[in-house]
Amino acid sequence: MALHHTSLTRRALVLSIPLAGLATALVGCNANNPKPGATSSSAAGSATSAAPASKGGTLRILTSSSAVNWDPAISQSLAITSLGLVQRRLTAWKVGSDGVTKVVPDLATDTGQVSADGKTWTFTLKDGLAFEDGNPITAADVKYSVERSFAPQLSGGLGYHKALLVGASDYSGPYDGKQLASVEAKDDKTLVFHLNSAYGDWPWIVSMPAFSAVPKAKDNVKTYTTTPVATGPYRVSKTVEGTSITLERNEHWDPKTDEARGGGPDSIIFQLGQDATVAAQRLIADSGDDQFAFGASFVPAAQLAQVQTSAAKDRLVTSGPGALAYLAINTQAKGLDDVKVRKAISLAVDRNAYRVAVGGEIAGEFADTLITPGIPGRKQYASLLKDVAPAGDPEQAKKLLAEAKWSGRTLKFAIADDAVSSAKAEAIQQGLKRAGLTVTIVPLADDVLTEATTQGDGSKYDLTLGSWQPDFPSANGNIQPLFASDQIGKGGYNISRYSNPKADELIKKATETTDPKESGALWAQADELINADAPVVPLIYTKNSFLHGSKVVGFAIPAFPAYPNYLTVSVAK
Amino acid sequence: MSLERSDELVDPPTLRADGVWRRLRRDRFAVAGGIVVVLYILVALTAPLITRAAGVDPYTYDLASLDGRGAPAGGWGGISSDHWFGVQPLTGRDLFAIVLVGSRASLVVGLGATALSVALGTVLGLLAGWFGGAVDWVIARGIDVLIGLPALIFMIAVGAVAPAWLPRLLLLVLIIGFFGWTTIARVVRGQVMSLRSSGFVRASQALGAGHAQIIFRHLLPNLAATIVVFATIAIPGAIGAEAALSFLGVGVPAPTPSWGRSIGDAVTWFSVDPMYLVFPGAALFVLTLAFNAFGDGLRDALDPRTSRHSRRDRARRSPRGSGRTRTRDQSPRGAVA
Repeated sequence: MALHHTSLTRRALVLSIPLAGLATALVGCNANNPKPGATSSSAAGSATSAAPASKGGTLRILTSSSAVNWDPAISQSLAITSLGLVQRRLTAWKVGSDGVTKVVPDLATDTGQVSADGKTWTFTLKDGLAFEDGNPITAADVKYSVERSFAPQLSGGLGYHKALLVGASDYSGPYDGKQLASVEAKDDKTLVFHLNSAYGDWPWIVSMPAFSAVPKAKDNVKTYTTTPVATGPYRVSKTVEGTSITLERNEHWDPKTDEARGGGPDSIIFQLGQDATVAAQRLIADSGDDQFAFGASFVPAAQLAQVQTSAAKDRLVTSGPGALAYLAINTQAKGLDDVKVRKAISLAVDRNAYRVAVGGEIAGEFADTLITPGIPGRKQYASLLKDVAPAGDPEQAKKLLAEAKWSGRTLKFAIADDAVSSAKAEAIQQGLKRAGLTVTIVPLADDVLTEATTQGDGSKYDLTLGSWQPDFPSANGNIQPLFASDQIGKGGYNISRYSNPKADELIKKATETTDPKESGALWAQADELINADAPVVPLIYTKNSFLHGSKVVGFAIPAFPAYPNYLTVSVAK
Repeated sequence: MSLERSDELVDPPTLRADGVWRRLRRDRFAVAGGIVVVLYILVALTAPLITRAAGVDPYTYDLASLDGRGAPAGGWGGISSDHWFGVQPLTGRDLFAIVLVGSRASLVVGLGATALSVALGTVLGLLAGWFGGAVDWVIARGIDVLIGLPALIFMIAVGAVAPAWLPRLLLLVLIIGFFGWTTIARVVRGQVMSLRSSGFVRASQALGAGHAQIIFRHLLPNLAATIVVFATIAIPGAIGAEAALSFLGVGVPAPTPSWGRSIGDAVTWFSVDPMYLVFPGAALFVLTLAFNAFGDGLRDALDPRTSRHSRRDRARRSPRGSGRTRTRDQSPRGAVA
């Protein structure tokens, strides 16, 4: 029975998130309905240190997800959200007093030693690390965790490492007895990774879920997602399918070895399937157990408006500008292959109406570049929309359309079939209408939409909405997944189907550049080059808002990512 | 000759327009309902003219009427001389225009779906009742299955898989109409079965009348009152179904105004902007109430046995009241004789 339920849950997750590296992107797509792994988590303690402000008590997390996926191979959780409470990785994210997120050692003693050619990374595990059952954590357990992320039956997790490790393209997991030679467990403590090319951001890559530790003896492809073997401060003690998940302290977690996690509350309860509106109302009311709770879902626009004039205002935490929300134009669709038409669309879009539709000023800042604020290397340049009013310039757009001899055909605008996407799409639709562009909104079920935009020939849509926050703070994560031509139609997130050999070349060059300054400059160059082709219309840099109860302590959102740090949240007595 | 005579006798007295009208007119609730329904229909037909005259439309954004939070600026949901019902949060669209134009979706689906289910229900009920046997078995089982299906869930599912080229309004008419015919089919079937064994029908058969002739000349006229009443009472149900589907986000696609969708949106805004819920909610409430009042009155007028007026009538003039009901049963016997 449990088996059956588990596989169903996972299948549902995999269906809706069929690609690696998409966690935050998909979260952004359904701004009000974040996927479990990527957004839920709790954080206590102060932003500067992992030591909790207060120990003990029960923290509650209200999430709209119906399950939390604890299997590191298929999780897309950021390092500071749900999965981070239960699983440690080679490195972790720590938020400094300045709000800047740094990569710090977690299971490893440092963030990796790189060879002179930049292709070999060596990590040493800390002493005294143990699983929740008391068994020591060895390099082989980490190697096994990485290997199982390649298994076809465990697809869907963050997969940045899959293109980087030597020989990974022909590897299909450890379940047929094969090992991946480029992940080398030299002894119980030493782990060596061999990469295809130099890669400067590798310490960030090994903070991703696949770089946890999984004991081979306890692995079960079907049940690991509900009954993982914990390495972090908490273990999963009880799961009520679709209703709640209870985490209890893991006695074998040693706070002295962990600088990223506070481990404040004695237990943490995820309340699943909570409607975002209802959860927000409960947190505003702040009664009973809800005082010790926070919402993992973004606060919906209506409740945002409500909170801003209520006493709960102090308990609303809004991130800085994070994910880029954009309108993707299918550059392979008829007529839209003309850059003039795409520029006309860019100018006709009413970014102000879009922002109001998602909650007004608190929802974000107007965007005009592709690399998001807070990412090293971001440069402000004279982009197409830089000096255009947020409401757009429909007159200029009309001129461009006339020059391009636009056919006047109706554009298919594929969106997710929920109220928030619909509100966004209507705002875009009415903006484009001012320039004489007719748009039909086509609402699709989540998995159908993902299929239509990321698979096949893209013939089912002309426009669609996207939202993207990199999975690690590098411009690489802004550009490569969205605009590299190898990300078109095979599950990648290049949903504007943008293909430009010059851009591809620049992306390759920047990826292989290990010096951060140099690569930053190259990424900025790529940003400008791609943006000039107008494959997407940057709309806003989204600010995410979360609510927490009055007894929740240390609830903070770093500059990157725009999600609360669950690892350092605690509750007051 | 005898056919002619039985026709005359079969003609249900309850359908005589003057009598119906007299009884209907006496029911003030029904009259009010009827007037409201007519007004709604007029408004729906002329909605574009009215909104144009008022200088508003349901699609244009007016972000200036919102505050920085996306909520209507000013009290009472942003009611002003420009926006008589206030504005929609997050868009600033005129709520008066939305409510006005939204009546079209409600009425088109309400009337269209009812027409479809009445047509389906009458035809299938007639066939089942008249032919009996295998035909009846198949149709009756079909009705059982359809009644057993969770209609709303099924409607949502069909709405989700329907091809994009199918106009959404037509789809709603088809779906709601398809799930609404079972009640009327059952009633028609029962009535036809009792009519089938009645003397005048048997007499017609004996005189060599074909199926079509009996169905159209004898059965349908006798069923007319029932069908009209059922149709009137089914309309608010269909309007409600459209609103429910739009509320759940599978109805009329945005931005086409629909009361159900507005109500769905407004629920989340209730604590900030209660007026947003009031106007579409009141529009839907008044229309369904009016249809129900009118339907009830019409039923009473057509079938005085059920109404309080006629109960009084009967007490006063009992020979006519009871005689009327007997006419249908007895006269054919006379024809046979």
